[in-house]
Amino acid sequence: MSGLTFRLKAAPDERLDVSELTPRRLASLSQGDIERIVVGSTKRQLKVGDVFALGGRAADSVRFESGSSRLDFIGSRLDEGTVIVDGDVGDYAGREMSGGRLDIRGDSGAFLASGLKGGLVTVKGSAGNQVGAQRAGDKFGMMGGIVVIEGHAGDRVGDRMRRGTIIVRGRCGSIAGTRMLGGTIWTDQGFGANPGLLMRRGTLIGPNVEKLLATFVDTGKHDLVILRVLSRYLAATLGPLAPRPITGPVRKYAGDLATIGKGELLIAA
Amino acid sequence: MKVNGITIDDTFAEAFGMSSTGVIITADSPRWARQAAVTMSGFGTSVIGCGAEVGIDRELKPEETPDGRPGVRVLLFGFSPDALAPQLKNRVGQCVLTSPGSACYAGVDAKRRIGLGQGPRYFGDGFQTAKILGKNRYWRIPVMDGEFVVEETSGVVTDAVGGGNVLILGNDRTGLLSAAEAAVAAIAEVPDVITPFPGGIVRSGSKVGSKYKGMVASTNDAFCPTLRGRVKSELGPDTVAVLEIVIDGLSSKSVADAMKAALKSLIEVGPSKGVTRISAGNYGGKLGQHHYHLRELLP
Repeated sequence: MSGLTFRLKAAPDERLDVSELTPRRLASLSQGDIERIVVGSTKRQLKVGDVFALGGRAADSVRFESGSSRLDFIGSRLDEGTVIVDGDVGDYAGREMSGGRLDIRGDSGAFLASGLKGGLVTVKGSAGNQVGAQRAGDKFGMMGGIVVIEGHAGDRVGDRMRRGTIIVRGRCGSIAGTRMLGGTIWTDQGFGANPGLLMRRGTLIGPNVEKLLATFVDTGKHDLVILRVLSRYLAATLGPLAPRPITGPVRKYAGDLATIGKGELLIAA
Repeated sequence: MKVNGITIDDTFAEAFGMSSTGVIITADSPRWARQAAVTMSGFGTSVIGCGAEVGIDRELKPEETPDGRPGVRVLLFGFSPDALAPQLKNRVGQCVLTSPGSACYAGVDAKRRIGLGQGPRYFGDGFQTAKILGKNRYWRIPVMDGEFVVEETSGVVTDAVGGGNVLILGNDRTGLLSAAEAAVAAIAEVPDVITPFPGGIVRSGSKVGSKYKGMVASTNDAFCPTLRGRVKSELGPDTVAVLEIVIDGLSSKSVADAMKAALKSLIEVGPSKGVTRISAGNYGGKLGQHHYHLRELLP
């Protein structure tokens, strides 16, 4: 896959906003134009050319050949093409993406995929707090698309999430799905304490939960057709990235009854 | 012309443009998927009297269905998408939602959509929930054996074809029926078509109009053996019965393929079952957009 490449000249000494570095926005720019894009977050006004060594040619992909936990907003508002990061990223990666693919081959900071509307975000390592969550000033958290985290995720995964799917191959932190309005969060290793706090709708799926809220009610064991549909959809869409399918019945807890209680926590029975 | 001792009339079947939609019904077993499909297909023989022509296209293996369970694909044909919408809603609501273990998904992939679960979801009385996966929304309606999962919409096409047909004439009524059954079984192997009449076979072919006011169609007297001699009959002296197979398809090609399959079967098994002649129904070629000439479809 050819495309523009960015290599950090040195570890950044301030946070960098690299939201402009997506295939569509760079497609019509010359190398000089790209190198003059401001990415710094201080009055120094650091530019791309100050911190990155640029290579390759504009195409449908952008590759960061080195990562840093100070690279914020990677893949922000991506609508087509691919952004690949060979390392860690900072906060707000994939924010408000509506299409395309963001591959992070290290760890991610907080607010991964906040406001995501479409496309696919993958994280080889672990993600910080508030994956797919609402950012202050937003109406909702994630509103579509798919996020796959091969490691663990922090607290408040899917805060005010409305649509879409978050898959965590590891474990979710505490209060996953808080204030959730829809969508699906699926963990292969289990939930931390109090998942679904104030959730209205939506689905949480996992093998276990550390501590259950008193406002979730046990509805018994069920063999749910929708889980079969979901498993097949994810297998067809994600291939090897799909979560392990749940075969057989699950125990369904309905909640949060402190709200309208149309959400569900499904624990593999 | 004669093929294998059977006279093939130099004529054509005249068919019409229709709209069509479809559903995939799944259940815990092939038997219960088929049960829901058969129930949904009831009273769906002729668009004139039933509102839609409905039938089973084919059975689906678990790997072919959205939920990995055995399934059946049902196709519905009507005058227009607007005419199909209430038929789909009512048939799914009364015949599929009620069937144990069933789920129901879009069976036609097309840009234009009509409601599938949009109406039946209200049976959930506020307890229904939705799940959006990709571009599709699935409703989950709580019912007494768990949940009825139904996709929100199904595709509808407006370039489908209704009224492909084959007329089978012969000198042995019961033999004719078994030959027609074999032809229907051959058509069942062709994808995207249905034969909406009972068992795929109709014994009451009709002509347009009637002596009675208000009747839009009446018995095709020219093909009724008991009227031979009284009317301008189309039947030879040895013909004791006529059966018709009517075919609806998602495309003109699928109807032609189905007619080919029927003709091949009839020519192979017909002579031993008393089939003496094969013809087709038309209106002089002035009403229907699609003409299927028997000679061009012979094996």
